[in-house]
Amino acid sequence: MFAQTDWPGGHALTVVPPLLGFLAVWWLMPRAKAWPRSAGALLGLAALASGGLTLFQPGTAMVQNLLFGFFALVAIGAAVLMITNRNPLYSALWFVVVTLCVCGLFLLRSAPFLAAASTIVYAGAIIVTFLFLIMLAQQAVGVAAYDQRARQPLAATLSGFLVLGGLLCALRPWVPETAAGRFAATSKTAAATPASQSQAILRVGVSPESSAVRDSDSTGAPAVRQAPSLAASPLSQQRNRPVGTVRGLGRSLFGDYLYAVELAGTLLMVASIGAIAIALRTPRGKV
Amino acid sequence: MMAELHNYLGVGAVLFALGAIGFLTRRNLIVMTLSAELMLQGASLNLVAFSHLHGNYQGQAFAVFIVAVAACEAGVALALFVALYRRKRTLDAGAWRELAEEGLDSGRGVEEPPVAPLLPVHPEFPRLTPAGRVPEVPKRRAGRRV
Amino acid sequence: MSETVRQIALWSIPLAPLAACVLIALTGVRWLRERSHYPCILALVVSLGSSLGVLAFAIPQTPYEMDHPYYPAVVSAGYEWIRIGGLDVSITLTADAMGAVMLAMVTLVSLLVAVYSAGYMRGDPGYARFFAEVSLFVFSMSMLVLASNFLVLFVFWEGVGLCSYLLIGFWFRRPSAAAAARKAFLVNRIGDFGFMLGVFLVWVTFGTLDYEVVLGREGFLQQIAQQHPGRLELICLLLFLGAVGKSAQFPLHVWLPDAMEGPSPVSALIHAATMVTAGVYMVARCTPLFVHAPWVQVFVAGIGGFTALLAALIALTQYDLKRVLAYSTVSQLGYMFLALGCAAGGKDVVTLAVTAAIFHLFTHAFFKALLFLSAGSVMHSMGDVIDMRRFGGLRRALPLTHLTFLCGAAALAGVPLLSGFWSKDEILAAVAAASHGSVLYAKYFLVLQIVAVATALLTAFYTFRAYFLTFWGEERFPGEAGHHPHESPPVMGVPLVLLAAMAVGVGLVVGPTGLFGNYLAQTRGLTSGEEHAIAWMPMLLGSAAALIGIAGAWLVYVGSPGLPGRLAQVLTTAYRWSLNKFYWDEIFVAMLVRPLQGVAWLCRVLDDYLVDFLVDAAGRVPVMLGSLLRPVQNGQVQTYALVMLLGLAALLMSVLNVWAQ
Repeated sequence: MFAQTDWPGGHALTVVPPLLGFLAVWWLMPRAKAWPRSAGALLGLAALASGGLTLFQPGTAMVQNLLFGFFALVAIGAAVLMITNRNPLYSALWFVVVTLCVCGLFLLRSAPFLAAASTIVYAGAIIVTFLFLIMLAQQAVGVAAYDQRARQPLAATLSGFLVLGGLLCALRPWVPETAAGRFAATSKTAAATPASQSQAILRVGVSPESSAVRDSDSTGAPAVRQAPSLAASPLSQQRNRPVGTVRGLGRSLFGDYLYAVELAGTLLMVASIGAIAIALRTPRGKV
Repeated sequence: MMAELHNYLGVGAVLFALGAIGFLTRRNLIVMTLSAELMLQGASLNLVAFSHLHGNYQGQAFAVFIVAVAACEAGVALALFVALYRRKRTLDAGAWRELAEEGLDSGRGVEEPPVAPLLPVHPEFPRLTPAGRVPEVPKRRAGRRV
Repeated sequence: MSETVRQIALWSIPLAPLAACVLIALTGVRWLRERSHYPCILALVVSLGSSLGVLAFAIPQTPYEMDHPYYPAVVSAGYEWIRIGGLDVSITLTADAMGAVMLAMVTLVSLLVAVYSAGYMRGDPGYARFFAEVSLFVFSMSMLVLASNFLVLFVFWEGVGLCSYLLIGFWFRRPSAAAAARKAFLVNRIGDFGFMLGVFLVWVTFGTLDYEVVLGREGFLQQIAQQHPGRLELICLLLFLGAVGKSAQFPLHVWLPDAMEGPSPVSALIHAATMVTAGVYMVARCTPLFVHAPWVQVFVAGIGGFTALLAALIALTQYDLKRVLAYSTVSQLGYMFLALGCAAGGKDVVTLAVTAAIFHLFTHAFFKALLFLSAGSVMHSMGDVIDMRRFGGLRRALPLTHLTFLCGAAALAGVPLLSGFWSKDEILAAVAAASHGSVLYAKYFLVLQIVAVATALLTAFYTFRAYFLTFWGEERFPGEAGHHPHESPPVMGVPLVLLAAMAVGVGLVVGPTGLFGNYLAQTRGLTSGEEHAIAWMPMLLGSAAALIGIAGAWLVYVGSPGLPGRLAQVLTTAYRWSLNKFYWDEIFVAMLVRPLQGVAWLCRVLDDYLVDFLVDAAGRVPVMLGSLLRPVQNGQVQTYALVMLLGLAALLMSVLNVWAQ
């Protein structure tokens, strides 16, 4: 993983945020004995800051950057709080926050219907029913014993951040201009990096194709696999087209994916029947 | 735009990893399921970002299906939790270990600490005297209604 | 006589008892039961008739046969058994003079014993088994005698050993009988091992196992003797080792006294007349080989003489009548080997020596069988008590037994004109001739002569000691005898009488008249027409020894009643040594049995603590490996999910690694 390309400029810096994040999350895990949590919070902030420095690529519009930054930070923070909280009730509520922030990110990416749908489904239906079940299961006053201690905290956090580190390192060569990247790019020839190549393409400014709401999918995949020749892929070029209307989504869903939509409906019905059947069984197996 | 793609992908990856950690770490069944949903949200974010990049509705459609399936999954999961709760009166995922190999010690080092009260019992809180007289409960004799 | 009749006669000698055995084995328990003796006796009658016929055939009749006295009398080619490589073994029956004489003796004694057993074994639950085993024995013995190569001889050598085992342990539920049978078999095995080596060596040296080649061609033997200097001696020594085992010579004599655990008819048949004489027969048959190995013959004589003396000394103090007779058998077998060994005295002594041995074998069979059967008759009357200290003065209660026992005892002691006298005299004459004839070993044979005479004296003494202790003195019956001890029934009495007649008469009839000697001389290795002057000195010495012995016994046991006790007290050490068989069994236990048990213990310890340990450890390795891996399967979903995530991380790393390069 720490191979010859872009070392030390690229990958070394990419390791720092996951490392700090790992320490932060592990610090914050619930434990039986008392634990100063403030250090964990500080570590978390440091992780987010370094992550922003190394990975964040500011776009053109300021408002969008701000909104993105806000939603992203709150989402990640709420997620950490969700998984490290002792009280399952609070965890559910933090999950709602995460959902709302993710929906905000959906909005930023021109998916209003999806934002609304997932808010309704997640934060509305799922969380409400989960809260019912949590209340049902609250036997004693207070936090149940099994919620007070994390299970295998070190192993879980380590493996999770290994995956994250891998993903970020995979992502890193494609990030053309970051705050840290600018430091590194000046000192060496940036012609070989795939990021700079894509940047060159962008600067050339290939004219966008006409808008067509069509799924043209299969050719876009190779861009990630081979040494990047993004110029070849027509889909990766910068385009301005009206994406994100509910109408367009509806036409796409009920036009191209009609079969899948019907199946999804059937699946929902089957799931609800199944849930009724399971829930109504007595412990002896009879309904 | 391409650049911003990486931002969203990064956020999606972080959410996914945090969801995975939460799934592995928590013992409450509900919170485990919520962590799984968190992972799904990270994946949806990825899809939406790519959809935005390519300028088509593929990713969004897929994300819609993810939402639908997540709903089914949550429903069935809840039904399962209700059934499981009926058997063992607990939502502890560690309580279900019938498929374990024999002879293993139960749980690695997780002693059950006593249930911690949410609020400590404050010794200075006033104690109310019982309202009214405590009524006498007459003794019941066989054959005589009192 | 036509050839076919000869062949049928020859084959019927072994096959009739075999058929009887099979018949009794299959039907005896269920159907024949008390009638199981009929097939056996019938078969033995057939065998006896055929043996007598073969005896007649074996006399050379045509001029060709008379000119070539080595022409084997009756040969019947049988079945090609083995034909592998150079080994060519066929089951061919050959009956020459020596074989015919043996067969006649074997079948006659077997028949009389079988008739006797019909009465003796009556009521025994294993009645059918007894007669099946006796028939099997007669089959094996006759095949042994009729064998014409070493391999068939060896097979039936083992066969008689097997039957001996079966019959000694006939009452196998008695631990002492089972132990005695085992002991007999194992001790015989030691001898058989030497015998086997001898047979292997014969095969290696001669390239064939046929008597025709190995024993029949003098020129070939000379050639071999020159080519391989010590080979013939080694072969003879090894073969003699087999004879030592089978014929209970020192040091392998220990099984014969214990073999008295078997029924008395078995002792009479197997351990007096037939099986134990197989060794003598084999050595006599191999005379052509032995003449090329003089020092082996000297060794044979030495062992024979030593055994004779040793057994006689032990028999002096035994109080079990059958044990006395057993040691007497050992002693007389030693006599026979002594006679065989005297062939070392020179070429002209060979025929005399071998003839003396076979003649003694012949007469000994009759009077020893007679003695054993009489002892059996005594046991039968005394309620299976055979301890001479518990009964006495039986001559009025058991008149017939008394008379027959007396005949047998007199024959054994060598009372003049009885059969034992003639055969013993021939042996003494052979020893004398050897000491005169041999240049190298003259003094040696002189010593042996003294030993022989001394043994004759002791034989007479202990035989009549037994006789006087049993039949003279005040009448005493043991408790087990019941009311009134009765004489044996006629089915037991008639064989006794017949055997007594043989014991008294047969020596006179065939001995001094030269019938026996001339007939026997037609065997390979023996020359006929040798004239020996009657040796008066040995004859006188022998007679004197016998009479002195008898008189001595009379004096000690009848004349002065307290004398034996006082003698035992005075000569305590000698008495104890003699009574305890010179401690030979204890020596064997210390020398052989204990070390073997130690080795067995060591092996068991090794097996338990080393081999089992290793095997168990090997078995525990998978268990340990499993216990290392088992905690992964703890039934917790989250553990499995963690492992999945780790796997995903590893996969991701490897993919990135590949991609980044």
